[in-house]
Amino acid sequence: MRPLAILPALALLVAMTVAEAHAHLRSAVPADGSSVATPPSRVVLRFSEAARLTAAWIARNAAPREPLRPLPDRAARELALSLPTLAPGRYVVSWRALSADGHIMPGEVRFTVLARGMIGHAPEHATGDATGHAPGPSSP
Amino acid sequence: MLSVPDALSVLLRALSLVLVLQAAGAALCLALFGRELADSLATARRLGSIAAASGAVCVVAHLALQAGRMAGDLSGMLDGSLLRLALTSTAGSASALSVLGLALIACALTARRTGVAVIGTALVTASFTLTGHTSVSPHRWILCLLLPAHLLIVAFWFGALPVLYLASLKESPARAARIVDRFSSVATWLVPGILLAGLALAALLVANLGVLRQPYGELLLAKLGGFALLMGLASLNKWRLAPAMARADPGALIAFRRSVAAELALIVAVLAVTAVMTTLFSPD
Ligand code: HEM
Repeated sequence: MRPLAILPALALLVAMTVAEAHAHLRSAVPADGSSVATPPSRVVLRFSEAARLTAAWIARNAAPREPLRPLPDRAARELALSLPTLAPGRYVVSWRALSADGHIMPGEVRFTVLARGMIGHAPEHATGDATGHAPGPSSP
Repeated sequence: MLSVPDALSVLLRALSLVLVLQAAGAALCLALFGRELADSLATARRLGSIAAASGAVCVVAHLALQAGRMAGDLSGMLDGSLLRLALTSTAGSASALSVLGLALIACALTARRTGVAVIGTALVTASFTLTGHTSVSPHRWILCLLLPAHLLIVAFWFGALPVLYLASLKESPARAARIVDRFSSVATWLVPGILLAGLALAALLVANLGVLRQPYGELLLAKLGGFALLMGLASLNKWRLAPAMARADPGALIAFRRSVAAELALIVAVLAVTAVMTTLFSPD
């Protein structure tokens, strides 16, 4: 039996093939960690696989999170969430999404809406359309 | 951060894995060795049907908790649209098939129809392929054979342990020794299949070796460690304790029972690790 056990171990090394089981967040607009000069009216989330949002919240600075509604009513790779009018501050948009494999995943993006006086200080972050985890300012 | 429904879901998943695989394994074990049992047969059947019935309750409760996880708090369990979403998700179909299999096991064991109970075992193990990481992989069809094979052998081993424990309590020493010997001779061939199927599953699911340094990979390695410890105990049983029982050595029965209880506890621990791994983490 022992020598047989080596076969799948070899397979583990050799036959690594990517299985996209979970829907992972690929990118977001505004991007995670970005600073934006104009308050966004919505957040767009792009997943690696179709996902269905089952809950979403927004929190400003240290305030408790508020639910975001309405949620998109079907699964898709790209999902948009309408935002209320945002005052300057640090925001966290968080959610729970159901993926095709039945798993429920939490996720969040953090971004900063700059106050008028601060716009000149962080122009390189002001596009808000970078993908991935763009480095954000340490504090607004 | 782990929410209350996430934590409860892992706990309930671990509990359902224990009960579901106990029920599935009891049916298999009674089909294979039921004829050898005399004074412990009725209790073994009863335990199997109790595990099946309580397992079905846990599976349903776990599905309802999915709605709580979707909402991020327990109030989701009262939200009709989230409950509907849970029911119509792949987890809903898997739970339905599992409950059907468990109902068959509970009824068939009560009615002493072990053959029918084994059909329940097949349904229960097949239900695992309808949801989870294996269900969406490009290697789905190989995984659909490997996962039930992994689970059938786990169930056989795990389900046999309480039967062996009962036999050592209730049967004559000679009969108990014979049953342990029969189990050992089958288990020696089957149990390495858990490792083979497990490694093959991992090879097909894990996206790259870097995953081994992430929580999914670390939990997978913990499973391997648990399996190695179990093999140690199983060898002790086969080479030391079973022969001592056959010779009717004083103290052999008690040592055997202790070792079976330790095996049971270790398998429960590996199932808990599996519940954390498959609920909260992903192999890619
Ligand atoms: C006695 C030991 C073991 C027990 C009780 C056990 C139990 C299980 C169970 C219950 C599942 C199904 C999980 C689910 O779909 O919810 C599973 C899946 C799996 N097992 Fe094991 N297992 C054991 C040993 C191993 C070993 C040694 C390996 C190899 C490293 C392994 C690798 C896997 C993999 C890769 C999966 C698929 C997980 C996924 O879907 O993400 N198992 N095991």
